[in-house]
Amino acid sequence: MNISLYIHIPFCNSKCPYCDFYSIVPDDEALKENYLDALKREIIIYSQKYPQINIQSIYIGGGTPTVLKGQQIFEIIQTCFDKFNVNKEIEVTIESNPESFNYDKAQNIFESGINRISIGAQSFNNKLLESIGRIHDKHAIIKSYQIARDIGFNNINIDLMFGLPGQSVIQFMKTLEKAILLHPEHISIYSLSVEPKTIFSKLFKKGTLNIPSDDIVYEMYKNAITILQDNEYEQYEISNFSIQKKECFHNIRYWKNCPYLGVGASAVSYIEKNRYKNISDVNKYTYFLKHNILPVETKEVLPLKEEMSETVILNLRMMEGIAKQDFINRFNVPIESIFGKQLSYLKENKLIESNDSHYFLTERGIFISNTVFVEFLN
Amino acid sequence: MHKVEHIRNFSIIAHIDHGKSTIADRILDLTETISQRERRDQVLDDMDLEREKGITIKSKAVRLLYNAENGHQYIFNLIDTPGHVDFSYEVSRSLAACEGALLIIDAAQGVQAQTIANIQMALENNLSIIIIINKIDLSTANPNKVKEEIKKIEGLKDSPVFLTSAKDGRGIKEVMEAIVKYIPYPRGVINNPLQALIFDSIYNSYQGSIVYLRIVNGEIKPGMKIQTMSNQKTYEVNEIGVFTPKRKKVSQLSVGEVGYLAAGFKDVSLTKVGDTITDANNPSEKRLPGYKKVSPVVFCSIYPVENEDYQNLKYALDKLSLNDSSISYIAENSPALGFGFRCGFLGLLHMEIIQERLEREYQIQLIATTPSVVYRVHLKNKQVVEINNPSSLPEVNNIDYVEEPFIKLTVVLPSQFLGGIMELVQDRRGVFQNLEYLDQDRARLIYNLPLNEIMLDFYDKVKSISKGYASIDYQISSYQTSPLTKVDILVNQEVVDNLSFISHKDKAHLRARKLVENLKTVIPRQMFDVPIQAKINQKIIARSTVRALKKDVLAKCYGGDITRKRKLLEKQKAGKKRMKKVGRVEIPQEAFMSVLKVD
Repeated sequence: MNISLYIHIPFCNSKCPYCDFYSIVPDDEALKENYLDALKREIIIYSQKYPQINIQSIYIGGGTPTVLKGQQIFEIIQTCFDKFNVNKEIEVTIESNPESFNYDKAQNIFESGINRISIGAQSFNNKLLESIGRIHDKHAIIKSYQIARDIGFNNINIDLMFGLPGQSVIQFMKTLEKAILLHPEHISIYSLSVEPKTIFSKLFKKGTLNIPSDDIVYEMYKNAITILQDNEYEQYEISNFSIQKKECFHNIRYWKNCPYLGVGASAVSYIEKNRYKNISDVNKYTYFLKHNILPVETKEVLPLKEEMSETVILNLRMMEGIAKQDFINRFNVPIESIFGKQLSYLKENKLIESNDSHYFLTERGIFISNTVFVEFLN
Repeated sequence: MHKVEHIRNFSIIAHIDHGKSTIADRILDLTETISQRERRDQVLDDMDLEREKGITIKSKAVRLLYNAENGHQYIFNLIDTPGHVDFSYEVSRSLAACEGALLIIDAAQGVQAQTIANIQMALENNLSIIIIINKIDLSTANPNKVKEEIKKIEGLKDSPVFLTSAKDGRGIKEVMEAIVKYIPYPRGVINNPLQALIFDSIYNSYQGSIVYLRIVNGEIKPGMKIQTMSNQKTYEVNEIGVFTPKRKKVSQLSVGEVGYLAAGFKDVSLTKVGDTITDANNPSEKRLPGYKKVSPVVFCSIYPVENEDYQNLKYALDKLSLNDSSISYIAENSPALGFGFRCGFLGLLHMEIIQERLEREYQIQLIATTPSVVYRVHLKNKQVVEINNPSSLPEVNNIDYVEEPFIKLTVVLPSQFLGGIMELVQDRRGVFQNLEYLDQDRARLIYNLPLNEIMLDFYDKVKSISKGYASIDYQISSYQTSPLTKVDILVNQEVVDNLSFISHKDKAHLRARKLVENLKTVIPRQMFDVPIQAKINQKIIARSTVRALKKDVLAKCYGGDITRKRKLLEKQKAGKKRMKKVGRVEIPQEAFMSVLKVD
């Protein structure tokens, strides 16, 4: 069974007020050590439970994986290579934050077999960085980028955010230019969404979060696509751009709705049409695994209808769209026999297009993709 | 049996919160017949809504036995009346069943608009009024000032005044003796043909409509054939009784007595308040005076949010109207809102109560459209049509002129707020009638203005301008010609009938502009530009545009997000489903309410 592996590191040096991923600021080293022990146990349990699986890609996300020591990161990857069948050539990504990235750590990471680094830059404007709670400045971004290059990484992503409180279109364009000047292989741009239960959401409800209007965010997004394309970064997904052949393979597998195994607190797995979510609590997670119990909090069985909807919606996020043949291969029916009405309605409204092999979003469809996606829900 | 000389029938009238319920409680303390446990149910208003809003919707009656200082035992029939202007006809009929009234005035707040309205009604029914200045225990109480205010009110010269504290019981005994002394006993002739006044009725699923009545002449016994005089229908009396406060059967009710009657009336619409019951075999020649058919004054359309709830809504309205014949409802169908009802009410509060009961007791989510008054449209062909829905206004070319209902509005307020309130009322097309000073710093203001003008947020405005110190009351006075015009709203070139409104010509443009701007913020952006226009006849008078949706993107969607992101999309989809589709445009339900928010 071909599968991707996601590893969640739920630790950060400080919490960002917009972020709703599960993470904590650890107060001692022992907590991290215990967590890593648990993580290794979880990997071992799964390797025994599914001996036939074949890892296609690995992604270490968080939180901030680079708050771990270089050696600790090395050991995690080592465990994966030891316990699972892993092809040596696969893409292995780690997310890193500028404030917790240095030469020695980078060296360890490189030697572990990790071959792709995603830098959480978010902005090159120091004021904005501060206002969104980042604890690094633009120099730290550039420095960590250079370290990664010097050590030999040839696949680097820079994450940027737009639609930030008080941000102007010009400001974002400047940030984008600075990122492009570094020549990373990959750039992701995410518009800020105010997630429930975050500090930003509280401010938003109070009316004190000065986020730009939809029209301004639209301008930012539209201009960014143009600038990136002018600089040879091809958009291959709603938020993702890369130079040729440097698309993120791991993420593409998500959008093709392929199975994945997620380990670590709060991680999600999608195996054999079931979706599992691990418990979002480091201590409980550690406790369960100490007793060799999988720390699954919820299991969602996906009915065929929903699997179909999700397959279409996820694939449409990619510019290439959904391959008609892939749909037939997966469900034994043509996509038109399930979603014929929706497809022709969306075509009429010029939100999707098709060619011989694919259905894909039009330019307008990209901008209002949610309007497209809801059509495919039951 | 008690002699008729020992019967006292009276009501308690008061402005909201002046202590009606607590006075009633204290009176009960000094009489027999009620156990502590029963009391709560009877004396306090028993519907949740009544308790919350501090008003009585239905009349109630309770029969009490009082041992007076003169050694005789008296029957006190205390009739509790609905306390709000919407129910003024019901109040007047309840008062007609009495010989006296206890008028309660808060010693701190003094005379209020409703107090005056109540006094006038009591005087019209020739009641003896006993004035009670209550809450004298309050540190802010100023009974002397209240006495001064009372002097200014016509018709109260001969009324005795008592100071009470319902809280600590002071003065209550004196009031009890005053009831014996000042309120006359019922005068009537037992040998005359039966005349009994219906002052309320409630629906009971076993016995049908149970009538609350007062015997004016003659007597009534079970098995008797009786007739309701308004429609000449004949019934046989199954049961009669008195309120203790529980219903207790008796073998006869005679002159002056207050009680109930069950005679197999199917529902309350057959037992109209104010109607006269007589002996079918020996009918009275005349009805008791004052009966009128009450007709709804305020109309609005009510639609279920979920189309599937239509049957439930119909059932709920059927049920509610069993007990409240003043609600009218006719099925209607709107392209925008689906199936619903055009409903008529006695007033704004009545409307609000019914809407809340539908939502609360029947758990139906509702969309209620802007309330409308009843317009009298005089056509060029001399026909007169009454319309209660702006969208059904006839073609302008066929209209000679249109009349709308006017009210006489009474505002009682501290004089420091006079300017603000007068400005408000003038803006609402009010015409000044009179100003009187009740005392040095309180005044009574009377205006004539269209009922339509108090439909939307008038009460709230009065409250906020006067910091809550002004009280208002109104009665419908007449129909008058007004230069009115209908404004239609078009969304994406299509008229949305539920958004049409009728307005004074001078105000139409401003209101149309505000509404159009309002709708722009309420209607979500669609896949294309949506023009919103307001027009009078064929002329567009205001417009705005909901620009096409530009951006609706979920930036991140990776493995861990999929379930949650799908739920977000599902929510978006559910929101869309709840919207009503007019042509190609999805209009959320708030849009239909936003008409209400245009001042």
